[in-house]
Amino acid sequence: MGLNLGARRLTAVRTDEEAFEALFTAEYARVVRIANRVLADPHEAEDVAQEVFVDFHRLHSATAQYGPAWLHRAAAHASLNRLRGSRRRQKRELAQALDEGDKMLDPQKQAELEEDRRRLRQALGRMAPKPAAVLVLRASGLSYAEVAQALGVGIGQIGTLLRRAEATLRKEVTRGTSE
Amino acid sequence: MFDDPDARVGADAAHLETCSECKANFQVIADDARAVATLLAVPDPRVDVDGAFARVMREPKAQPALGLRFPILRPARRPALALVAALATAAVVVVAFAAGGFFFQPTKVQAVPITLSDLQALSQLADYGTFNWTKEPQFQISPTAPEGDLQPPVVSKLPAGVSTTVTYGQMSQAVATFKFSAEKAAAAAAAQGKSLPKMPANMDGATLTITVGPAVGEVYGNLEQPSGASGNDINLPQLIVAKSISPTVTATQVSVTEIEDYIVQLPGISDELKKTIGAIGDPTKTLFIPVPVEYGTSKAVNVQGVDGVALGDNTGVGSAVVWIKGGHVWVVAGSIKQSDALDIANNLK
Repeated sequence: MGLNLGARRLTAVRTDEEAFEALFTAEYARVVRIANRVLADPHEAEDVAQEVFVDFHRLHSATAQYGPAWLHRAAAHASLNRLRGSRRRQKRELAQALDEGDKMLDPQKQAELEEDRRRLRQALGRMAPKPAAVLVLRASGLSYAEVAQALGVGIGQIGTLLRRAEATLRKEVTRGTSE
Repeated sequence: MFDDPDARVGADAAHLETCSECKANFQVIADDARAVATLLAVPDPRVDVDGAFARVMREPKAQPALGLRFPILRPARRPALALVAALATAAVVVVAFAAGGFFFQPTKVQAVPITLSDLQALSQLADYGTFNWTKEPQFQISPTAPEGDLQPPVVSKLPAGVSTTVTYGQMSQAVATFKFSAEKAAAAAAAQGKSLPKMPANMDGATLTITVGPAVGEVYGNLEQPSGASGNDINLPQLIVAKSISPTVTATQVSVTEIEDYIVQLPGISDELKKTIGAIGDPTKTLFIPVPVEYGTSKAVNVQGVDGVALGDNTGVGSAVVWIKGGHVWVVAGSIKQSDALDIANNLK
């Protein structure tokens, strides 16, 4: 009896580890993409992905059906939280400004676009969590159904949420430009 | 709408072609969408999946489950019953290990912030004795409200955006026992190379009898898989409301104070948790909700005139409210704002 239980537990553990590896392989690149969409920094995006997977592995079973949706949502929120951290943001903006200084191709246009992107990310950090996450997840290539699952809202609401979020963000960027 | 494949079909598409006002609106929406897409565009980073996997696997995995598991449920049933199971699990675990006592029957709830290291330390306790189901919980789900004395809570008004599709879940009463064993505790500690505080003589062989449920709940949200979706694409519930008969614990041989004293001596228990346990007045009347500080937040709230606990996860999306009233533990949880969860809780019948 004891041996049977032990063997069963070992099989369950192995199955869970295998399931986690499969989940990791299937979702890692996408989780990094989501974080990178927010942070525009591949190294920091990988840090976020690492944190997200470690958290998932600590607290959830890899066979849970909500796994991918949980990872997508966590990636969006964790990277948006980083964006909101004022110290990190200042550091990132400084780094981006230095990067911009290095760019020699069409400097005027490049600088304008980079400035717009910087303002956009500042504006993303000011937005409420849900609309910001809708934008980021959709921009990262998730389908309407996947965005709905990640955020726990009905698929029928995604179009409206997305449209409002896009309008809000554009307004925020414009406000930032005029300030 | 701009990139919604279902938004411009049939009559809508025809209308858009002929209505200048809608055409102008559509143009504004499309401009916003294109501008945002351009600004959010970044090159896809190249990733080393194998290297990243190796790094994640080097991180220690916490074991917050405290070694107790409910009988395995078929995967298809898990989402609908997640909260009922979670509630019952939390009740068993918290009641058995954080409180204890000759006769435990809580009348109020209180959040206890704990760290992952506390959880790991507490999880050792599962190896210090033998856990047995005297009566295993039975789960049932149905599209209609179950019949019986314990009726599911009634939500007066759903927040905007929450699906009205309801699935009902029931859990039967379950009884489990945990018998402390000094021999098992010593063997478990030796296997991990740890030295343990000495288990009091009267704790060896003491048995806790834990009774949870019955519980009933409602899950709002379409849990069916979208057509053409894979098995991983099941929808997450948006809102869960549940109530359970308050859990009880009886204990032989050992007092609440003795169990508390033993727990605070375990290696790995943080000073904060020691202080919290030390400050517990009458643990036989309070149901403690462990809140891992790395993952969630909690605050005391007033619900329907009694003390309750509002919980939030660190992603900023999930929230829950738990309280005890009329001999029942009540829970409202979901991917909703905390103010909405509290509003539902205050109007729940």
